[in-house]
Amino acid sequence: MDIVSLSFILLVILLLALAGGLWIALSLGLIGFVGMIAASGVAPYQVMSTAMWQSLTSWDLTALPMFVLMGEVLYRTRLSRDLFEGLAPWVQRLPGRLLHVSVFGSTVFAAVSGSSAATCATIGRIVLPELKRRGYDTSRAVGTLAGSGTIGLMIPPSIILIVYATATEQSVARLFIAGVLPGLMVAGLFSGFLMVWALLNPRLMPPADPPLPWARRLTATLRLLPVMGLILGVIGSIYAGLASATEAAAVGVLLSLALSAAQQSLSWGGFRDALFSATRTSCMICFILAGAAFLTAAMGYTGIPRNLAHWIGGFGLANWQLLMALTLFFVVMGCFLDGISMVVLTTSIVVPMVTAAGFDLIWFGIFIVLVVEMAQITPPVGFNLYVLQALTGRNILRVGLDALPLFLLLLVAVVLLAIFPQIALWLPATMLDV
Amino acid sequence: QTTWDMPTPYPDSNFHTVNTAQFAQDVKDATDGALEIQLHTAGSLFKHPEIKRSVRQGNAQIGEALISLHANESPIYGLDSVPFLVASYDDAKRLYDAQRPALEAQLEKEGLMLLYSVPWPPQGVYAKQLISSVDDLVGKKFRTYNPGTARIAELAGAVPVQIEVPDLPTAFATGRVEVTITSGSTGVEARFWDFVTHYHDTQAWIPRNMVFVNKAAFDALSPEVQAAVKEAASAAETRGWDASRAETERRIGQLKESSMTVVSPAPEALLEGLRKIGAQIAAEWSAAAGEEGAAILSAYNQ
Amino acid sequence: MTKATKVSGNIIRKHVTGVLRRIGRPPQESDVMRRILDLIYAFSLVLSAACLLAITGLVAIQVGARVLDKLLRLAGLTPMGWQVLSLPEIAGFLLAGASFLALGPTLKAGAHIRVTMLLRIVSPGLRTIIERAVLAVALAGSLYLAYAMANLVWGSWRFNDLSIGLLPIPLIWPQLPLVIGTFVLFVALLDEAVIHLRSGAFSFGGSEDALPE
Ligand code: NA
Ligand code: NA
Repeated sequence: MDIVSLSFILLVILLLALAGGLWIALSLGLIGFVGMIAASGVAPYQVMSTAMWQSLTSWDLTALPMFVLMGEVLYRTRLSRDLFEGLAPWVQRLPGRLLHVSVFGSTVFAAVSGSSAATCATIGRIVLPELKRRGYDTSRAVGTLAGSGTIGLMIPPSIILIVYATATEQSVARLFIAGVLPGLMVAGLFSGFLMVWALLNPRLMPPADPPLPWARRLTATLRLLPVMGLILGVIGSIYAGLASATEAAAVGVLLSLALSAAQQSLSWGGFRDALFSATRTSCMICFILAGAAFLTAAMGYTGIPRNLAHWIGGFGLANWQLLMALTLFFVVMGCFLDGISMVVLTTSIVVPMVTAAGFDLIWFGIFIVLVVEMAQITPPVGFNLYVLQALTGRNILRVGLDALPLFLLLLVAVVLLAIFPQIALWLPATMLDV
Repeated sequence: QTTWDMPTPYPDSNFHTVNTAQFAQDVKDATDGALEIQLHTAGSLFKHPEIKRSVRQGNAQIGEALISLHANESPIYGLDSVPFLVASYDDAKRLYDAQRPALEAQLEKEGLMLLYSVPWPPQGVYAKQLISSVDDLVGKKFRTYNPGTARIAELAGAVPVQIEVPDLPTAFATGRVEVTITSGSTGVEARFWDFVTHYHDTQAWIPRNMVFVNKAAFDALSPEVQAAVKEAASAAETRGWDASRAETERRIGQLKESSMTVVSPAPEALLEGLRKIGAQIAAEWSAAAGEEGAAILSAYNQ
Repeated sequence: MTKATKVSGNIIRKHVTGVLRRIGRPPQESDVMRRILDLIYAFSLVLSAACLLAITGLVAIQVGARVLDKLLRLAGLTPMGWQVLSLPEIAGFLLAGASFLALGPTLKAGAHIRVTMLLRIVSPGLRTIIERAVLAVALAGSLYLAYAMANLVWGSWRFNDLSIGLLPIPLIWPQLPLVIGTFVLFVALLDEAVIHLRSGAFSFGGSEDALPE
């Protein structure tokens, strides 16, 4: 079968399976199975078991269930209420008010978590119920969180940047530093959007709190101390050399348990609920990751991503056209593959292409992260959408729609990065090349 | 016309991958396209630890892996990473010749056939300060990633720490690790100068990769194609050994050009201490590998 | 009674009453099958959670050892250099085990996500038909998956595959939970198929369609 008709058939099967309500992990597995039967002589079950095994026995991935558990524990403490009470008096004049907590929280948490789904799950668990309780628009809250979670990929540590660095022989240290400013820029774009949105939709915002006298503001602010202690503890464990970025997730669990013990806000029953809830959520995500890993291997056999990338390379495009074509390519692929798979499957072809075109590979790494961030929030395959469906019960298509403005802002970020490459390159050059 | 899938662990620009890609091209040319080998580099189809299994199962027909990755399974796989057994590429070649029959027999148990084996550049010591003798290693956080490196740390009195390769930059920067032994290639490819200051050219051991095929898949080829594969493999082996020597020169040069201090040759006191450790590990290896091991070592020492 | 069985007991009671209420029958003493199934789900969920706790615990020991060494160094003493051998590898094994062991109970809790938006638009009759077709695919898929995992373990056993880290761990042990977990998933799907045939809906249908907003 030729590759175009195979791609088309797989696409139709995927959409039918998802629309019919087949579980997402099984849907991905199904098209992996069909793809392998059609395009290779290898028994799918062997590849299926190896791919799933190798994808889940990953040290880096263990941070995900840890962070999910941390979120579940914190959700059952006073911490999220304290966080909002402490911040509320200071943001009353800021358009969008407490909606910014999603962006701000994700940006800070990104300094600990290398994954988008983990950022989304942890911050979402803490922030969403409180925003809802305070009467903020759910669509806006959910959409913002879907987008902000992706900042976890850009601000170091970042799993995707490590994968890219290994595949392209770039310095992880440089890429990490290069991600800082673009990460902050994306956070700034999201916050700016929230302000504009809030000004345009005053009726969707809850009424502002009455102004507090300064003394009450300060007492309210004191309630931020436990949160700040927690964040400093987790980040500090990394920078003091006590824990790796992966181990910091477990440190986060321990600190949040210690915090809830100190506040006496977590019963044995609450802990049990938190643990089982985290077990199920991480099982859901990991099963989809396993299905996606099998699909990735199957795609390796069918050669669809490889050939698509080749096809783009064949046009002999000018630099800006190449960049546009690659953005389009990754956005389309990103609808159906998870971000890391996309990078792994195509670097062999794409990197020589961009090297020949004279792009800086550190800069291109940041570009790749931006398009992978977009892939996290485009249906039908987008991990942040899955996390948020699990957290809120909203369908992934709905969440995808909620997140659409942030997807567009990520596109804006791509354009800005293309026009001003220094956004990525200035900091590493300043810090590492004295 | 047959297509083989070939998972390999390292990225395209790595000299092993470059050599393997040339091998695939040679096979295609020599067989007029009757056998085409599709490379899946950088662990994109199967990750490094799963490559041997996937070829054994026939999920891929041919693959490449670091031999010592599987040292837990048999001492035969661990021989090339015994420190200070070889002092040069010529030694390494003699060791390979002595080891080859046992290696082939070991692979055959899994239905695999060895095609060729190419060495990495010799292993040197990277640290955040000058290491002038083994005493300087005492109490240092020393990266261990397999039983061999763990034993070195233990015998040197260093503190063993397990660090995954991608975590190395952060681990060095935050002080979770202070010393690691690896090749000049890895040092340049991962831009070690962004986080360590000294490279000591100890030439501690010369580990090798192996390229192997699924025996059943190989037997299914026509005799002409089989011959072409073997010929291309033999050419790849010769080319790979030369490339490895050139790689050593080039990478040491690049390290010297970087902001790192390159100590080459390594301080004699350090070498002497490491050789002692090496002799003990070699004795332990021989004990673990039994008669077969003793036979290999005596063949090598002749 | 141990804590674990008390926990499973609670979950089982919740499951039993919930499921029976949905099927619309009063609880019957004779419903032994139900009890056995729910016990299976509860145990596999508890095992999965134990894997996650084990990761937390092992990392805690590792970080604790580093803190101790740091203090010893500050005090000018020799660090102990304790480490959890093969921690990265073992944590990965535990994660794979945790992920697969929870497959069945996660399905029963309605926490494996799927797109139900279109199912809500179509007529109830059509929805029932589509859901049964999807169940058939899922049953076949999970059985195939269980077979795939059993084959993986068989290969690791036949060739005595060992882990690559500091500790030589036979891979059959960390791989065995994958077989068990996928089999429990198959059982859970079979369970749901019976419930769907009897009642026309999944046992978790209510929780899945509700929008807790
Ligand atoms: Na991050
Ligand atoms: Na997507």
